[in-house]
Amino acid sequence: MSWMKITGYADKFGVHPGDTIKFFVNCDGPSEYQAEIVKMIHGDTNPRGPGFMEEPIAASCNATYKGVKQEIYSGSYGFVADKPQFQLESVTLQCWIWPTTPKTHPKYWKHGAQGLVTKWCDGKGYGLFLNEDGCVEFRVNDQVITTAAPVRDHAWHFIAASFNAATGEATLYHEPQVVYALDPEIPPVIKKLSGKPAYVPGTPTVIAGFCGSITGAPEAKASVPPGVLIKGHYNGKIDSPRICNRALSRLEIETMKMGAQPGLSERRNSGPSGKLSEAIVASWDFGDGINTLIGKDTGPYLFNATIVNCPTRAMTGYNWEGQIFDWKNAPQQYGAIHFHDDDIDDARWSTSFEWTVPHGTSSKFYAAKLTTKDGDEDYIPFWVVPHVGEETAKIAFMVPTISYMAYANEHLANNAGGAELLVYRVPIMQQQNMFLSEHREYGGSIYDTHTDGSGLCLSSRLRPILSIRPKYDHFLAQAPWQYPADLHMIYWLEKMGYNYDVITDEDVTYDGLARLENYNVIITGSHPEHNSGPQLDAIHNYMQRGGRFMYMGADGWYWVHSYHPAYDGKGRGIVTEMRRCESGIRTWRADPGEYYHQGTGELGGMWRFRGRYLHTIAGTGMSSEGFDISTYYSRTPESNDARVAWAFEGITYDEKLGNFGLVGGGAAGTELDIVDTMLGSPPHTLVVATSAGRHTEGYLLVMEDYGFNQQGLDGTQHPRVRSDIAYHETPNGGASFAFSSIAFCGALPWNNGDNNISKLVGNVLNRFMADGPLPAPPVEAIVHRGRADYDQPMNKARK
Amino acid sequence: MIPIPRKSTPDAQRMIDEHKECIDSMKGVAGNSVLKCATPGDTTIVTGGIHEDLQLNRVLLRMRAMPAKGKLVVICTKVEKEWRIARLSGIRGVPPEFVTDKVYDNEQDPQHDIFLMRLDEMPENDGFPEHFREGWKRRDDKWTVT
Repeated sequence: MSWMKITGYADKFGVHPGDTIKFFVNCDGPSEYQAEIVKMIHGDTNPRGPGFMEEPIAASCNATYKGVKQEIYSGSYGFVADKPQFQLESVTLQCWIWPTTPKTHPKYWKHGAQGLVTKWCDGKGYGLFLNEDGCVEFRVNDQVITTAAPVRDHAWHFIAASFNAATGEATLYHEPQVVYALDPEIPPVIKKLSGKPAYVPGTPTVIAGFCGSITGAPEAKASVPPGVLIKGHYNGKIDSPRICNRALSRLEIETMKMGAQPGLSERRNSGPSGKLSEAIVASWDFGDGINTLIGKDTGPYLFNATIVNCPTRAMTGYNWEGQIFDWKNAPQQYGAIHFHDDDIDDARWSTSFEWTVPHGTSSKFYAAKLTTKDGDEDYIPFWVVPHVGEETAKIAFMVPTISYMAYANEHLANNAGGAELLVYRVPIMQQQNMFLSEHREYGGSIYDTHTDGSGLCLSSRLRPILSIRPKYDHFLAQAPWQYPADLHMIYWLEKMGYNYDVITDEDVTYDGLARLENYNVIITGSHPEHNSGPQLDAIHNYMQRGGRFMYMGADGWYWVHSYHPAYDGKGRGIVTEMRRCESGIRTWRADPGEYYHQGTGELGGMWRFRGRYLHTIAGTGMSSEGFDISTYYSRTPESNDARVAWAFEGITYDEKLGNFGLVGGGAAGTELDIVDTMLGSPPHTLVVATSAGRHTEGYLLVMEDYGFNQQGLDGTQHPRVRSDIAYHETPNGGASFAFSSIAFCGALPWNNGDNNISKLVGNVLNRFMADGPLPAPPVEAIVHRGRADYDQPMNKARK
Repeated sequence: MIPIPRKSTPDAQRMIDEHKECIDSMKGVAGNSVLKCATPGDTTIVTGGIHEDLQLNRVLLRMRAMPAKGKLVVICTKVEKEWRIARLSGIRGVPPEFVTDKVYDNEQDPQHDIFLMRLDEMPENDGFPEHFREGWKRRDDKWTVT
């Protein structure tokens, strides 16, 4: 069965009126396709809701286009273009490796030999490889020598090889650093070879791969360099690769581990002697320029390698001492790059069509809808965002694009056995998942592990992201999640007739407070989990100045993200980075010493462990998650407080709030936030409704909330497994309403928007969107409050 | 360890009946749990199932904890219209393969059929912790964790 013959992406998430957005389409089979710009209103096909809704937009790009196949060339590597200095007769290669998949299953998507340091193409040249059996191999043209000793995965090995063209002698060294008692010795292998290396013109020197072919095929323009297809992608770390122009002795190789020591003088840089240094062709130091896309060559020719597809850097090297944990303080111990055969930073497709967004185009959710006569279909979502200062509404919906990128092309239902335990039912996959399961080149999400099992911590938006699609139910919810779930809110805004703008995480990250301050109220998405520091600062500054905030979901403000600065030249927010450090609910865990972002150098992990509790942002924070079914809320006595009673006008006290919905069948579900004044909820926060006591055994308290595993942490038992709808005022007439459940927005479209959740949200929005500060709270509400000692003695005396 | 009962036993039949009742009651819910909705398709009140039948609860946990290779999943082949049962390959880049020709007209029924298939496929003592496996030394313990 063939899935998704048409896929695509755009060069921008957010586009300003007057600007041009480019679309890139792969149409694999059909001779032509139709493109049409549509406004997105509702993406959920559930028959119990209002159904799928889009509106065609008259756009100059609406047309039929020729179908062209476009390929993604994923897998990271470094390369230096063909240079005469690399076209050697005799040679020595050396590097440290920490391989993760030295041997792969015959059906593995990139099964075969892996290149380490190569200048080799089509049986010509030289190179160090791991062969199909997982053994180190040295190739000179089509002649091969190997140690026949399988390389241990996840361990450091020193590898070197030399070839003396005059004598024909080739030597291969494989020296494991950790040697266990029963490991066989691996002696150097020496063999006589014939001839001298020959070269296919144009063959680059490649680190973590080899030159597979050089072609003029049009789709190969998407490879780097264009037309050169890199094969044999290596999975694992490489540290300190060196190339020398003669066959070095083992002692000289040992000295060469120190690398080129440029500018030797009587006062500095002892290392390879002047004589030995003459042999250096290239000596790369990946600890220099960790936040760049360059592999620095400290050798005489400055053959800096171009690093393609954004492998993971700031990785501990062979010489990491375990004393310093921030690469910025000891870059020389972070000379390893972890390459993966499924890294992807940019699909680099040719432009299929483009649209200059006319001035006056309303700021909304849009998509390029692609269809073929055979019934194939894909949508490329984008958002029209006003220029700062040209806002067109009092309300802004903040599209959680960093979170969309974090979940981009997620593979858990297919790869993770634990997925079924997590969701407490058999996962359901859709055509997007099926397509991705055989097209690993589209890359994974930050929830996935790479194909080698290591954590995936970088995600690019310059590739088709099939999870940001309408008509897509996610296995976690068996319902819309992220993008299509946020359309529940958009449907409701449209249905109720509100005028609103849309802005993205990118806009807030790059523009700061200016992006928010002209709105009376900011509405979040259903799951704004992944955030940059500048974004959280902007939200804080906005609310402190009287801004109003409606937090429409849960598990927000959880992970530290940063956009990789090396991609700024390609646009805003191209690649986002996140490291899953010591705590938090995690699908993988970063390794020791690898907690700091390679892009910005900041400490990754949870904002909580950067001293920014989730609860400080909107008043509530993540406490539990479960994915089987949702439930409803009941009002609490605090909902009658005059400070907030206005929110419940038209809702009786005993009503079940949200015992319906398009996510889990209720408004309280999937991931849940609560008030906790010990974790940053302002002490004057009111809990106005809660779902306590109604969740299933599938819901569990988050691990960062306890220190010791014990029974009694599930939804049928633990009182912290609940969602709290909460309200608090901020200075200058601002306020925050936190609805605290990812499933919450799924209740809004129920009964075409005529329901008590809709009523509650409408009451809040109507008050929050009004011009000027909110009415002052009653004077008796202004009292001293503690955190743990919440009700201060003086308050009790006053009662 | 609670064994996976043979299909012919009264225990298995009780669990099959309970499971089916729960799954039938979940039709119309955008989600699913092996719990019984008091009103079909409405999660306001849910009882029974995994909350009240310990053996069913533990057997389902065992089934859910299996490693990815060979695990049964549901594939939606036409949005809101058709679903089929498939098996995961456990190999990156190798997609799931359909295992039956049966096409379902709702997303809940395959949950029950997969339960029945697993009762057939899984040995009574599948995954017992007291049965030593060499794979235990490298986390290959047939009980996945995330």
